[in-house]
Amino acid sequence: MITTTCSRRKFIGAVGATAGAWLARPAMFLAHAAPASRVAVGMCHEYGPEVIVALGNMFDQLGGMERLVRGKTVAIKLNLTGVGTNRLGSLPPGITYWVHPQVIGATVHLLAKAGAHRIRLLESPMVTTEPLEEFMLQANWEPRDFLSAGARVEFENTNYLGNGKKYSRFWVPGGGLMFKGYDLNHSYEDCDVFVSLAKLKEHTTAGITLSMKNCFGITPCTIYGEGAPEDEPGLVPRGGRGPFHWMNRLPPKSAPPPVNASALSSNPPKDPGGYSVPRVVADLVAARPVHLAIIDGIHTMTGGEGPWVTGRRHVQPGLLVAGTNCVATDAVGMALMGFDPMADRGTPPFETCDSTLRLAEQLGVGTRDLNQIEVLGTPIAKARFNFRSV
Amino acid sequence: MNLDSKWVPMKWPCGPLEIARRNKPQSINADLKETLEAWGQPSALELLKGTPINCLIVDWAYGVPEDSAQQRALKPLLEAGRRLGISFVGKVALKEGSGAAVAAARAAGLSAVMLGDTSGQSYDLPTIPQFPRDKVAWETASTIFSSTENVWPGLGLETMKGDTAIAGPTGVPWVNSNGWFSLLAGELAREKTLWLDFDPPDTSNLLHPASYGLAVADSRAYGSRWIISLDDKLRAALPKGNSQAKGVWEKMCEAIAFFESHREWEAFKSQGILAVISDFRGENAFLSGEVLNLLNRRGVQFQIIERSRPLPAPAKGLKALLWLDKEAPSAEQHSQLLAFVRQGGLVIASAYWGPAEVKPTPKDPSLQYKMYNVGKGQIAVAEEGFQDPYQVSVDTHLLVSRRNDLVRLYNPDATNCHASIDPGHRKRLVQVLNYSSQPADFVTVWVNDRVGSARLWRPGTKNALTLQGVAAAPGTDFALPPLSVYCALEFEGSNL
Repeated sequence: MITTTCSRRKFIGAVGATAGAWLARPAMFLAHAAPASRVAVGMCHEYGPEVIVALGNMFDQLGGMERLVRGKTVAIKLNLTGVGTNRLGSLPPGITYWVHPQVIGATVHLLAKAGAHRIRLLESPMVTTEPLEEFMLQANWEPRDFLSAGARVEFENTNYLGNGKKYSRFWVPGGGLMFKGYDLNHSYEDCDVFVSLAKLKEHTTAGITLSMKNCFGITPCTIYGEGAPEDEPGLVPRGGRGPFHWMNRLPPKSAPPPVNASALSSNPPKDPGGYSVPRVVADLVAARPVHLAIIDGIHTMTGGEGPWVTGRRHVQPGLLVAGTNCVATDAVGMALMGFDPMADRGTPPFETCDSTLRLAEQLGVGTRDLNQIEVLGTPIAKARFNFRSV
Repeated sequence: MNLDSKWVPMKWPCGPLEIARRNKPQSINADLKETLEAWGQPSALELLKGTPINCLIVDWAYGVPEDSAQQRALKPLLEAGRRLGISFVGKVALKEGSGAAVAAARAAGLSAVMLGDTSGQSYDLPTIPQFPRDKVAWETASTIFSSTENVWPGLGLETMKGDTAIAGPTGVPWVNSNGWFSLLAGELAREKTLWLDFDPPDTSNLLHPASYGLAVADSRAYGSRWIISLDDKLRAALPKGNSQAKGVWEKMCEAIAFFESHREWEAFKSQGILAVISDFRGENAFLSGEVLNLLNRRGVQFQIIERSRPLPAPAKGLKALLWLDKEAPSAEQHSQLLAFVRQGGLVIASAYWGPAEVKPTPKDPSLQYKMYNVGKGQIAVAEEGFQDPYQVSVDTHLLVSRRNDLVRLYNPDATNCHASIDPGHRKRLVQVLNYSSQPADFVTVWVNDRVGSARLWRPGTKNALTLQGVAAAPGTDFALPPLSVYCALEFEGSNL
């Protein structure tokens, strides 16, 4: 197998040359153009029939889903990080670090009821091309439950070419922060509505993982993974998304090139993941816009994104968050977690990383300013669950 | 006297022959010489009192000048052993002319000899043939046989960082286990007992007690017996009353005693959703052996069927047949395979033998297989044949589907399990082994039945603990307490 590796400095050199210009003058980008938005917050204490009621109310508060999805193909990116055999203690992943199947089922049902023509459940499970249904079965989920939640429900593992004939290219408006564009599985193009269905969690590298960070997993490891070949995408993934974390390896030449930031090559970040991952995420949500962001915070975990993180703990905030703008939705999510969405590097939860929210805001994706966001349903002050105080 | 399947064998290296053997290629050190002499004394047998160990393997004839001195030196040990009810098996490692050595063994009162090459000769003493793992004569007439070239069970070195397991390229720590080979022996040499011959790794410190416990458990859980073999440091320390060494020894004996008290489990048969079919010989041996090894590591529950035996019909739990060999099935097997498919089973093979008029259907893009719908079932044909055992094991698991898993481990890390069922289908057993020297925390065993509780058996405890299950549709979760080396969950019911 042919592989491409390069030093961190070389990677940064390649990435940084172009980005440096705008990094020096961030104000010239589109922060002022970030649209205001509405975000619904719902209280829901358990994963039972109450989920569908709570989520239905929230969708109504957002103006209903019919105008968004009627007659459309809806792609839902699930947050199923890691592998389903990993548990936090004895608790199943849906209770701690995966979006819960009840929330998936409720979303599918409500969108189907609102007239969605077709609903596709997507995820790029770690280092595998196995059918998404098999990946779910490993966690003891029953994929047939999702099939019965709507009329035309499909699954696709987007970690490789999958059912597509070629990868779809998404260019980042404004040129991108890390890459000019990204090559993704066809499912992210062959849809009219894109939904990010995430979990309310902190994240070791990116500070938080909500609806935007969930989109980090739309990148196929055949291109962006550790074992990707030098020239063309691999047939199967040979490793995880370490290159985005360590900035030590370029994707195949067939993929859109990195942004050239010469400034970075002379002054590489001390924490490459904390620099790169938020930028990749901001790029992705700018290139592949999220039409509906949903965050499952009914049960979750504190301290990180999965059971492999030390110092983690199961918690039950009893929250659901939904909005039609991913930056605004994540800003409300952050506030509900007890963080300031205007926080940046050095301030919790971004102690060692840049704020994905700020970067996405600068790309014009949305606003993180709570003063510009209309919060519907349960007020933040009433629903807040402080992740660092439990 | 015949070979006794109840023997619990242990290597007992001592005396002039072992000293001579250890003197090459460099001179034996004084401490080791003293140890080998000490273990040749009848008093050394005191160690075995109260343990289940009842059969010692002693060096008998290697075709060297020290042979006769060895046989003379062993006389007091043999006499003392016999008084304690211990049987002795003499190891004869001669290329030819074993007759005299065997006769001497008989005269000295040995119960049997272990021979590297029986060459079809008959002796007036029971013989235990010993083969390299890839050259086992499965048809041996002996009721006990032994294999060499086995692995010391535990984590593979390449997946260790200090004492911590790190993930391998497949996402799970690589473990060394003889489990698959023991299962293979159970099929190819039915009603016979396999003695696995492997020695502890050479380390600078005493091995962790869990290492010996695992060597016992990895053999017994899969139906074979380990010829107990202690490392030099442990053998030197034990006669001196070293407390740490004593602890290691007692833990190991505790594990052996545990399995001896559950001998009824030896009659249990592997419970499988999949039957792996091959002749497991010659050119097919490598692929088929590796596939068994890797399927076991993936937690796929399988049965093994030698290719010449009748093929099964779909039964409860058996969903698929994996026909590994390039050789086509006989006419009779062909009709059996098709019957299996038509009744709803899945046959996975490297060539298509189904009805010619059936055309392949669209398949998942991740699987390089052609799928043929025949009757109520399917035939999956590997487009490029079976080449990489790892890929075969991965694909097989996906083709059969995790939906059909009988047992699954959560937070498995370096653990693995083996599912079996008693011949009357009233008791089911899931044995869980931890291949790390660190305890495994928060391991959950999921079984595909709705069962309220299970009996949890662990070495060192006389009685089982009742473990309550938690419903996890369509089965039940059982959260295990911290797992040192081994435990077994036993389920009872009328519908297993």
